[in-house]
Amino acid sequence: MAHRIVGQRFGRLDGADKVTGAARYSADVTLPGMVWGKALRSPLPHARIVRVDASRARALPGVLAVLTAADVPDLLVGRRMFDMPLLARDRVRFVGEKVAVVAALDPDVAEEALAFIEVEYDELPAVFDPADAIQPGAPLVHENPGAYHGAPAERPHANVQSVLRFKLGDVDAGFREADRVFEHTFRTQLAHHGYIEPHAGVIALDEDERVQVWASNKMPYRLKELLSHALELPPARIRVNLTPIGGDFGGKGSLMDLPLAYHLARVTRRPVKMVMRYTEELMAGNPRHPSVVTMRTGVTKDGRIVARRATALYNSGAYAAFKPAPSVNLGGTSMGAGVYRIPHLLLEGFCVYTNTIPCGHARSPGEPQMLFAEESHMDMIAKELGLDPVELRRRNLLRDGDALANGHHLEHVRATETLDAALAASDWAKPKPRGVGRGVAMGHRHIGVGFTNAQVRLETKGTVTLTIGLPDTGTGAHLVLRQVVAEVLGLSIDEVQIELATTDLFETDSGVGGSRVTHTGGRAAFHAAEKLKEQIHAEATKLGTPDASFATIAQAAAREGRTLEAVHFYDAKSHAAVTSFTAQVAEVAVDPATGQVTVLRFTTAHDVGTIINPLGHQGQIEGGLIQGLGFALMEELQTAEGRISTLSLGDFKLPTIRDIPPLTTVIVEDAVGPGPFRAKAIGEGSISPVAPAIANAVADACGVRIVDLPITAEKVYFALQDRKGRS
Amino acid sequence: MIRLTVNGQAHELDVPSYRTLLDCLRYDLGLTGSKEGCGVGVCGACTVLLDGKMISSCIALAVFADGREVTTVEGLAEDERLHPVQQAFMDAGGFQCGICTPGQVVAAKALLDAIPHPSEAEIKEWMLGNLCRCTGYYKIVESIQAAAGQARA
Repeated sequence: MAHRIVGQRFGRLDGADKVTGAARYSADVTLPGMVWGKALRSPLPHARIVRVDASRARALPGVLAVLTAADVPDLLVGRRMFDMPLLARDRVRFVGEKVAVVAALDPDVAEEALAFIEVEYDELPAVFDPADAIQPGAPLVHENPGAYHGAPAERPHANVQSVLRFKLGDVDAGFREADRVFEHTFRTQLAHHGYIEPHAGVIALDEDERVQVWASNKMPYRLKELLSHALELPPARIRVNLTPIGGDFGGKGSLMDLPLAYHLARVTRRPVKMVMRYTEELMAGNPRHPSVVTMRTGVTKDGRIVARRATALYNSGAYAAFKPAPSVNLGGTSMGAGVYRIPHLLLEGFCVYTNTIPCGHARSPGEPQMLFAEESHMDMIAKELGLDPVELRRRNLLRDGDALANGHHLEHVRATETLDAALAASDWAKPKPRGVGRGVAMGHRHIGVGFTNAQVRLETKGTVTLTIGLPDTGTGAHLVLRQVVAEVLGLSIDEVQIELATTDLFETDSGVGGSRVTHTGGRAAFHAAEKLKEQIHAEATKLGTPDASFATIAQAAAREGRTLEAVHFYDAKSHAAVTSFTAQVAEVAVDPATGQVTVLRFTTAHDVGTIINPLGHQGQIEGGLIQGLGFALMEELQTAEGRISTLSLGDFKLPTIRDIPPLTTVIVEDAVGPGPFRAKAIGEGSISPVAPAIANAVADACGVRIVDLPITAEKVYFALQDRKGRS
Repeated sequence: MIRLTVNGQAHELDVPSYRTLLDCLRYDLGLTGSKEGCGVGVCGACTVLLDGKMISSCIALAVFADGREVTTVEGLAEDERLHPVQQAFMDAGGFQCGICTPGQVVAAKALLDAIPHPSEAEIKEWMLGNLCRCTGYYKIVESIQAAAGQARA
């Protein structure tokens, strides 16, 4: 079906504020009388707090308040599992945990005051590695986590937060059918999301004693609920005001410092701003879980996978509070099955407490970890079987009607087509020089679900205003929603404006995350616009002029004191029977003298639905892909004894503009998505297969198999040396 | 007391000696376009021009700008007309969340002032100090190429 506006390549029409500096992010919000909050953090991974003396800090000129655990309610917060105190009470559990908080007239004074707070600690035995943490007799991070609100029931060890399990068939029987069984273990690193905007928030109590909130948070309605609990206030007393968000990638959905900013505002009777330093982000944000993944696969002689068992140990850190899923685990665990039909399957993810930084969700949570293991494992099996890695994949790819690990049956499976597209575009079969290798990896991702409200209103000048409670985390979602409304109503893009609702307007909204916004926001906007269209038609019929302009119709209604408007609440509860496949090919050169890996070119193929804005769509592919490249090659929060040593963006390396390889994107379009105009999702499709594609290419280039990320020059160099030594 | 000119406007102000230029711009002058990302001169979100030269304002002291001229992102558009670099970043998808964009466009303007028609390698060399986590940089390169093309026209 041909569309007018949907499918057009629009630039960021909504972006003038962002290129001129006029856009007000949370850290830019400035209110009269506003003061600054700063937090004092624990220097120890596990200790009893013996004594806190804030009297010297309180006496400093310019300091308005110092709060410790004794000054704030004794309650626990979280997103699903509520296990984290507002300030450490009696005990600190990781380096970076907040112990006290200061409000001062000036941010520099606030920071200076922290040095005057005296805390006496009594150090306790700590545990840092998840494998150690689940041994009998390991130090306990929490004595009785089962008692926490939202704690899952299954708990094989007190240091286990949650277990997530996916099963198909009978895995033991499956392994008995196998001719060969392969087992490999992989590790992935602790990595921060790398958004450039640190967490920021401003809290003010207005004249009606309502709590006004500006925060870098992508789920305003959930934030209101969580604040209502944390502040012990009815939801009606809280209003979240939407601001632009300076990058999210899964990291901006928690309360972070907001409850403390509230208590400082309550005590000082002033608006309070708290902005984390980037060092604090790297020390105490909510980064991607490190993992240890063991893959065990049974295959027949002809390369058919008959059974697989995958076990992931995720180092979740000292609190479960940052994980939003009801499972309190990582859904990406299901990607242990890859893109393959495996009749007998058992996938298990264990989130484990340790005395390290609490981890959270990061772009396609759990998937980059699992797929690195899974797709590396596939190449290792192919090598052992003497099969071409592409051929092994082909023999096992999902087909229409196959069941996924979560029990869903798939339709419109385009796995083979997507793989073929990537291979063709990457010159897979062409000869390559010595020292150069190619690697392939695949993945697929669901189209997100959730619920969104959209309201559309016909203005008397004939334009339409779309009101929405979803912030734009940068994806260009607001432009997509305008396109949807313009398409339905036959307007130009300029004739549809967007207005952001505060949390006062709608009842609820699931916010941004999980590749849902084009789907849920798009469908809400679509149906609201359809309703408005009906009203407009009815109005025109009433006027007796079926071709009356929108302005005429709106003005006629206005004369009778009416506004034409419609609201739609769209709620997608379960996943569609389609997913989006990705196939990627990395071509790399390995320098035998240094181990340095250079990505010479990269090919990414995507099976997508209707593309609403090709420019934004491609931007999601490219951005995710380069995050995947960073995860593959350089990003790592290095830790020793629970202390992170890479505490600046100078040490925690993100890809720069010089690190990007020449890129070929192939789009395999098939309009079968659940989104508006049969759109699918794209935000999380490109990140996960990058690391295994590169690892497989490195193995192809120099015969060295790296099983722990990131693939640094040092690791490749020592592996090359090791191999030389043995031969 | 320091005197500095910001986007063509003269200012006289008292600032503590430890005040960074970025904090001075954001808090003393209310120019919140320049952003603090890393805070250690690595990410480039705070990039401004000091006498036409690109610097990280988060690691420069305000007193260092005494008697000098500062250009921030707020000073790039002329009479409501966007600078070609700003327009190109919008048209070509050179930003997503926008937090690094003030620094990107200031750096790109400085690049085109110095090298009106840069090669791709020159763009990458110049823009190396401006991190972006959303775009993967491809569309930043395209935006700057488009802006350079417009400048040529």
